[in-house]
Amino acid sequence: MQAWRQAGFWLPLMIVFLWGLAVLLIRQDTARETAFTLLMCVGLASSLNILLGYTGYVSFGHIVFFGLGGYTGFYFLSQHNWSLLASSLAGGVLSAGLAGLVGLAVLRLRGAYFALATIGINEAARAFVSNFEPFGGATGLFVNFSAYEQYGGAGPALWTAFTFLWVSTLAVLATSFLVKHSRFGLGLMAIREDEDAAMVMGVKAPQAKTIAYVISAFFPGIIGTLYFFKNGNVEPGDAFQLHMSIESLVMVMLGGQGTVLGPMVGAITYQGLRGYLLTSPIFKSLHLAVAGLILLLIVLFVPAGAVGWVRGRFPRWRRVLE
Amino acid sequence: MKRKSLFLIFGLAVLGLVLALFTQPSPSAAAETKTVVIAFTASQTGKLNVEGMRQINGLNLWVEQVNAAGGVKLPDGAAVKVAAKFYDDESKKERVQELYTKLISADKADFLISPYSSGLADAAAVIAQQYNKIMITAGAASDSTYKKGYTLIYQSYTPASRYLTGAIDLLAKLDPKAKKVAIVYEKDKFSTDVVNALKAYAEGKGYQVVLFEGYEPGATDFAPFINKIPAGVDAVMGGGHFVDTTTFAKQLYEKKVQTKMIALLVAPPEPKFAELGEACISVIGSSQWEPLANYTPELAKAAGLEWYGLSVADFTSAYKKKFNEEPSYHSAGGYVAGLILQKAMEKAGSADTAKVKAAIDAMDLMTFYGRLKFDTSPKAHGLQVGHDMVYIQWQKDAQGKPVKQVVWPEAGKTASAFVCPVR
Repeated sequence: MQAWRQAGFWLPLMIVFLWGLAVLLIRQDTARETAFTLLMCVGLASSLNILLGYTGYVSFGHIVFFGLGGYTGFYFLSQHNWSLLASSLAGGVLSAGLAGLVGLAVLRLRGAYFALATIGINEAARAFVSNFEPFGGATGLFVNFSAYEQYGGAGPALWTAFTFLWVSTLAVLATSFLVKHSRFGLGLMAIREDEDAAMVMGVKAPQAKTIAYVISAFFPGIIGTLYFFKNGNVEPGDAFQLHMSIESLVMVMLGGQGTVLGPMVGAITYQGLRGYLLTSPIFKSLHLAVAGLILLLIVLFVPAGAVGWVRGRFPRWRRVLE
Repeated sequence: MKRKSLFLIFGLAVLGLVLALFTQPSPSAAAETKTVVIAFTASQTGKLNVEGMRQINGLNLWVEQVNAAGGVKLPDGAAVKVAAKFYDDESKKERVQELYTKLISADKADFLISPYSSGLADAAAVIAQQYNKIMITAGAASDSTYKKGYTLIYQSYTPASRYLTGAIDLLAKLDPKAKKVAIVYEKDKFSTDVVNALKAYAEGKGYQVVLFEGYEPGATDFAPFINKIPAGVDAVMGGGHFVDTTTFAKQLYEKKVQTKMIALLVAPPEPKFAELGEACISVIGSSQWEPLANYTPELAKAAGLEWYGLSVADFTSAYKKKFNEEPSYHSAGGYVAGLILQKAMEKAGSADTAKVKAAIDAMDLMTFYGRLKFDTSPKAHGLQVGHDMVYIQWQKDAQGKPVKQVVWPEAGKTASAFVCPVR
């Protein structure tokens, strides 16, 4: 299968590529900050989609990989002066490794039991980190402001973090497409439709699910490191926020689970809307109510998610909207 | 039907956008008089909204009073009006940096005030320093923010490392024979910072810390910790935030823990703490500021300090009149953040960052909120070194109802502290 010949492969990549490039060329700080929040959500939602959308397993605690990976990366960055690249990769590798170990144990659970177990893992990780002295215990870790000097000062450091995030998001989207269109991905979707039937047909379900879990955990680890680097500090309370898990789920469902473009559309819509409402002069005091109302309307009228709805309605577009 | 409702939604969305475009304030409106923009994010929603809103109320009161008086008066006779610009941060860190960047670049902020809480302030500080903007932090007590090499971030609160240390001094006064201290605390950034400093201070003064245990945030049952408190302990200290500390105080009473002193974080100064009834009596708490605090021009004179701004009584009555509630230390912190900028601008004679920074660095004065002086060493620049906590104790009034009294420091007390009665 040659992915680069398909429009569906290029569409999400080109959108993010051109968007990031435009931000880098305009070099406006407000645009960068907005793009950072949105790209972070695109990355988190798309990596969750690799598990949720393709295998149908709902992970409520996916943010644990963002938190623990971010913690690990930030630890190497702040305590051992590793470069941003090396430490974010370390964060990603740790998250993936953890997912591998956890996956072997909990992916034997199905449905609601798996979803519950993932919440437990998030809470366990928070409790572990707040008692783990090398990670600063309950007070967390921070970088000295001078650490940004090696990137040419705080301003350029934030641009570096943005560029890294941009590249990571592109990587998530490419991976998402490649997984979906591989033999492995077909196996995952067979599991989603009927796990027992898939196993009868020769899909090694436990391994396949674990690999999907590992892939979907790798990127949040990287994104976490970049996010905490940008913030300059990390604390247990910020790293393992259950609401961020739930929000990623909402973004995936909004855009269309099981599609490559869907989580991206969902993340941009959801966070873009929230950002707009927060700062708009009319809605800024009512933003939560308005956001809730719009979400309700979307869920009521477009349950398959935006991309799913378009794909269902206009079959000819399916080749483009993967 | 489906298509119709979708069109309806789409139509509504377009209408909203159009409305938003037409109601943007025109940029030329405020161009005639010189105005400085004070910008911040406020926790209007989310878990910090009570404290966050009080802080913003205090700050807004300052803005209103300054503008009513014709603005900040500079030495050359010019006056500068103040405009506050803010967004909701939902008590979450995710958007703090994005919003502060917007406030600086799009809304042209001249000075910044921090969001409420150390965690959010930490994220905002990176942006403030990067854009060369002065930020006064309010509600951000953790010491670590000021040890990161920032040069433009100034703390209005007494830092966490001195939050409960006065309780040890008070204990020494209350019972010179006291020796054993038990510390039970919430395992989060703020409380851990406080008790680590408290433990070091107590041990430095020759006390023996017989118990040092942390509980998870959100804990509701403290029996396992209370059972561990050894008999004959002279003081129980610690706690965390409002809900857990209140429960802890209640359970200490129900379990009839015998000790001479109970000193806890955050909850005791809140008026709601009185709802504990008998269980709140004799409990001591530290507060950044209290309406009872007696900071006066005379006290400033005696200490050889300059007095600045309104009196405690004026602040309290103006706040009560505007917001219909008693001001808390969060409110005072918000107000004083503005007051620091006002004084610095008056001294600097302009709103220029470098000049105002020099003025704040040199500041050492007394206000209704207490003394204000900032560390200027490169290691802890901006850390508050002048301001002290006041300690309150819940006592009984003539009718036997719980009433708050300031018991420490000695100079500002409204009543003497007493030893915990036998329970």
